[in-house]
Amino acid sequence: MTAPVTRPARSLPAAPPAPSRPVLRLGSWLSLPLRRRLIVVGSVALLGLLVLSLLTLALGSLGVPLPDLARAVLGDSDARTQFVLNVYRGPRLVTAIGAGAALGVSGALFQTVTRNPLGSPDVIGLGAGASAGAATFGLLLPGILPTPVGALVGALVAIGLVYLGTGRGFSSPGRMILVGIGVSAMATAFVQFVLTRVQLQEATALAAYLSGTLADRSWGDASVVWVAVVVLVPCAVALGRRLDLVEMGDDVADALGARSTATRTLVVLTAIGLSTAAVASAGPIAFVALTAPQVARRLARAPGASIVLSGLVGALLMVLADFVVQRGVFGSQLPVGLLTALLGGVYLGYLLLREWKKGTL
Amino acid sequence: MLLLSARPAPTRARATRLLPALALALGLLVLVGLVSVAVGTRSVPLDTVWRALTDPSSSFDDTVVLSRVPRTVLGLLSGAALATAGVIMQGLTRNPLGDPGLLGIGAGSAAAIVTGLAFFGVGSGQERVWLALPGALVAVVAVFALGSGRRGVTPVRLVLAGAVVTAVLSAYIQAVTLTHPEAFDSYRFWVVGSLAGRDPALIVETLPYLVAGFVLALVLPSSLNALALGDDTATALGATVGRTRLVGALATALLCAGSTAAVGPIAFIGLAVPHVVRLLTGADHRWLLPFSAVGGAVLLVSADVLGRVVASPGELQVGVVTAFLGAPVLLLAVRRMRGAE
Repeated sequence: MTAPVTRPARSLPAAPPAPSRPVLRLGSWLSLPLRRRLIVVGSVALLGLLVLSLLTLALGSLGVPLPDLARAVLGDSDARTQFVLNVYRGPRLVTAIGAGAALGVSGALFQTVTRNPLGSPDVIGLGAGASAGAATFGLLLPGILPTPVGALVGALVAIGLVYLGTGRGFSSPGRMILVGIGVSAMATAFVQFVLTRVQLQEATALAAYLSGTLADRSWGDASVVWVAVVVLVPCAVALGRRLDLVEMGDDVADALGARSTATRTLVVLTAIGLSTAAVASAGPIAFVALTAPQVARRLARAPGASIVLSGLVGALLMVLADFVVQRGVFGSQLPVGLLTALLGGVYLGYLLLREWKKGTL
Repeated sequence: MLLLSARPAPTRARATRLLPALALALGLLVLVGLVSVAVGTRSVPLDTVWRALTDPSSSFDDTVVLSRVPRTVLGLLSGAALATAGVIMQGLTRNPLGDPGLLGIGAGSAAAIVTGLAFFGVGSGQERVWLALPGALVAVVAVFALGSGRRGVTPVRLVLAGAVVTAVLSAYIQAVTLTHPEAFDSYRFWVVGSLAGRDPALIVETLPYLVAGFVLALVLPSSLNALALGDDTATALGATVGRTRLVGALATALLCAGSTAAVGPIAFIGLAVPHVVRLLTGADHRWLLPFSAVGGAVLLVSADVLGRVVASPGELQVGVVTAFLGAPVLLLAVRRMRGAE
């Protein structure tokens, strides 16, 4: 039984970096070879993120003009500017960056551990579970829990079901995907059932939330995802090195001290932590987790997607999507998740066409 | 993945074992059909059902029974169509997770229906058939266009292309339904998948597509058997791989569009039934296809009956029931699997 798509087995990694190459070290715990291309691409992505963020804050009738922005961020501005920064656009932007980064890193981990370019947290039912939770606590049993907390509960229940369903936890990616499909289908059917049971207006409101939205975010929403990013992204980077060894085969990895089963489980848990935090702060946003690592992999021209770069690209995608939504290119009320789904889908299609022209794949 | 047995194929022995099983399955089909007509808000004894069907009078019970007939027939047809399409998909893509959803068929139908509802004011009731079929066909063509490369169509590319088309269409559907509440109102009752309140005329309208699909499916089994050995081996054995994929895709599109137009997108029948049936028949498509067709019909109608019994006096839509029945089945199958990597 195979996962739908398997990447061809990677060739053995090159010998350890020669002493002359720069290596980023944090004790014996973390060491990253610094490839020049990776640094250049990463810097460009960071710059792009910065420019887009400034534009998001500055443009539009409510925007803070660029010259005033630096002073305003430091707290020296009038009440109107403070309102825009602290309530209207600031939390939204910070949530977008955090959620995008979390999804990008999470997707990179999932795609590596499942060896499947379509691997994403949604494959194991996270998005569908979150939707079911939101539908339950938002519409069926209103007032017990706020809808975002309900979404979080739903996501965790779905993941719990997948964990129990595989019979051996998260150590078997193939089983994880299969059981995830089952759990997703159940959750989706449940959401559709709830949508037929309520008034049209309530159903429409829930449908918008279920696409994933950044409207009306608060600093609380932003902090949820940022805590996860700050804690879990370093873990992801550290685990990524061990995961590279696991990719060489379980026997080799075990012999080299990277316990394969434990590593896989830890990687999945980290990825789940990041994407549930993103769901809790912005709702089930489609496709960022899937697309960001793919883009990163092509930008870096490296076989494995760089984890940090995937996070950067994810943040860039989210901010870009939110920028387009806020500027009302496709009508002002579209949830951001719709746009990421569309962008992600079109991008995947483009990739296929390109591979087709090259005659690979 | 495929283990070739060194022993000669036990075709005859299998036939003597499987033919009675097929007869049994057909008997089960009739029984489930009768139960479906009998059970509901007003339940009717089976002997009365039989009398009502063979010699209808205008009594209340007979009217109730006859009113449930179209629903049951539609369920039997759709279930058989979905399971058959599932078998073909799994054979074509050599992917055990093959499901009609994989080729973007469900999304294509849904996108066409939503477009009709939102922008042209059509798509409720029977008009759906005329939207669902072209929608499904366009989606399949798009998937094949995206998935075919210089070296022909490969299963992996088909699956990827299906995922892309489904993703883009789903985003489109969401965007349209979010901005057109009146379309969403109709859509949300269709997308859940239900057999309730179907017009008998719907059977006549979807029947041509389903029959065409079933006829195409009849020519496929031996080609699908060859395809299971890989493209190169299949070609060496004299199978025309490209034509098989084309015919298979067309059959799947017809079967799915017909059933989706009639009862809405119903998950899991196409995925789960072939898996369960394979435990009984093995991988030979000549047995797999007929058994799956019967199995799908039985499963869909049983799920519909269950939905009526569980939520009585109301009812649970059949799409919800199949998802909640299918997921545990999939889970059990996964647990029994060795080395599901």
